[in-house]
Amino acid sequence: MADRDIQMNVNGLALKVNSGPGRTLLSALREDLGLIGAKDGCSQGDCGACVVLLDGQAVNSCMVLAPQAQGRDILTVEGLAENGVLHPLQRAFGETWAFQCGFCTPGMLMSCYALLSSNDEPSREEILTAISGNFCRCTGYQAVVKAVQQAAAEIRASSSGDGEQGRAPA
Amino acid sequence: MSTPQYVAPESLEDALRIKSESGADARLVAGGTDLILRMRDRVFTPKLLLDLRRVPLTAISCTAGEMRIGSYATLSQILAHDEIANLFPALVEACRPFAGPPIRNRATIGGNIVNASPAADLVPPLMAYDANIVLSSISGDRELPLAEFFTGPGQTVIEPDEILTEVRLPLMPPDSAASFIKLGQRRSMAISIVNLCTRLSLAADGTVATARIVLGAVAPTPLRAVAAEAVLAGNDITTALLDEAAQQASRESMPISDVRASGSYRKRMTAVLVRRALSAAWGELGRNNSNG
Repeated sequence: MADRDIQMNVNGLALKVNSGPGRTLLSALREDLGLIGAKDGCSQGDCGACVVLLDGQAVNSCMVLAPQAQGRDILTVEGLAENGVLHPLQRAFGETWAFQCGFCTPGMLMSCYALLSSNDEPSREEILTAISGNFCRCTGYQAVVKAVQQAAAEIRASSSGDGEQGRAPA
Repeated sequence: MSTPQYVAPESLEDALRIKSESGADARLVAGGTDLILRMRDRVFTPKLLLDLRRVPLTAISCTAGEMRIGSYATLSQILAHDEIANLFPALVEACRPFAGPPIRNRATIGGNIVNASPAADLVPPLMAYDANIVLSSISGDRELPLAEFFTGPGQTVIEPDEILTEVRLPLMPPDSAASFIKLGQRRSMAISIVNLCTRLSLAADGTVATARIVLGAVAPTPLRAVAAEAVLAGNDITTALLDEAAQQASRESMPISDVRASGSYRKRMTAVLVRRALSAAWGELGRNNSNG
């Protein structure tokens, strides 16, 4: 079958990719749209480095066919910051050193963002479950838990109006 | 990866017609968490990918004495479903350690069944609950016990023109309890070394009316240990009886050695884990036992 246009809403923008049906969403994001935040780690859904949000749910973009994303909402790590201001979760990752080499970070951030979108006061266990599909091979997970807790506190404070400015997850 | 055509029809009728015309050349894609790997490895080289994501096959409903789960329902959907948690808790327990959230958001109950992996985590609880499945084609639907579906690793009785559309679980009799146990190398993202589910349903006099012991990853297909079930049926539960059933289940297993574990380890763990699962089910039935 000839390549064809696939339209999807990526980080709030309606974009078209010219993609053959056998291609993955990850490949379309990285190669067609230049969104290289999501990483091609294991290519088999084990490592979580390619996690993006598909209609608000964390998915491994290496295991979604590009045409399966037709007409749907995609959020990648590039869409977290707003007007150059980092999302509280991104800032918390930086402040707590929740990364070392950074390869897993975009996927890790998206899994944590998906968690915070439905739960602004996650327990340690809930955070560990949320990142159980994301492998970090350098720093480990303790700092990530700390970062998510810090970001959650900040988001709660800002939504109750008495904290510093921060954008609540969608 | 091969480059098949991709089509996402709007109705089940259209999908069944396409499947009828294309047969084995058309392969269903749902979550894709298994299929995409096998396409990349050229194990599968379908000419056509048939995605039923636009067809309403994700519904979960409880009607007429049974729970019906659409074949495109994701594991995340099942995990979040309160009625399933109440009525079929062992199914939810099998979803909980399944891979990680990004996979659970995509992987479907139908995919877990049709892939026919001997280690499929959802199959032992579904078989323990006596699940039926519905296979649809343009000539109609047929319903059959899930236990009769598998014929070997990756092999089933599904016909090239059929689509698995629904899983049906009969409501359990009172005084029933089931327990699922998965042994993997870690809590998440692990293919099971052994997985299994046991169910006990008691008669009014407290004896075992129905016992189910379903073993995964220890045979070419998910396996009902029927001789072990027979050890329990009709009897009062004692710790000795549970021991005997667990040993019998282990004898019925026929595991291979592979990268995850040796056959002899699997066989030993089958006895240990069946015993634990039976104890858990028994404990839940309120018949206190101290020897679990």
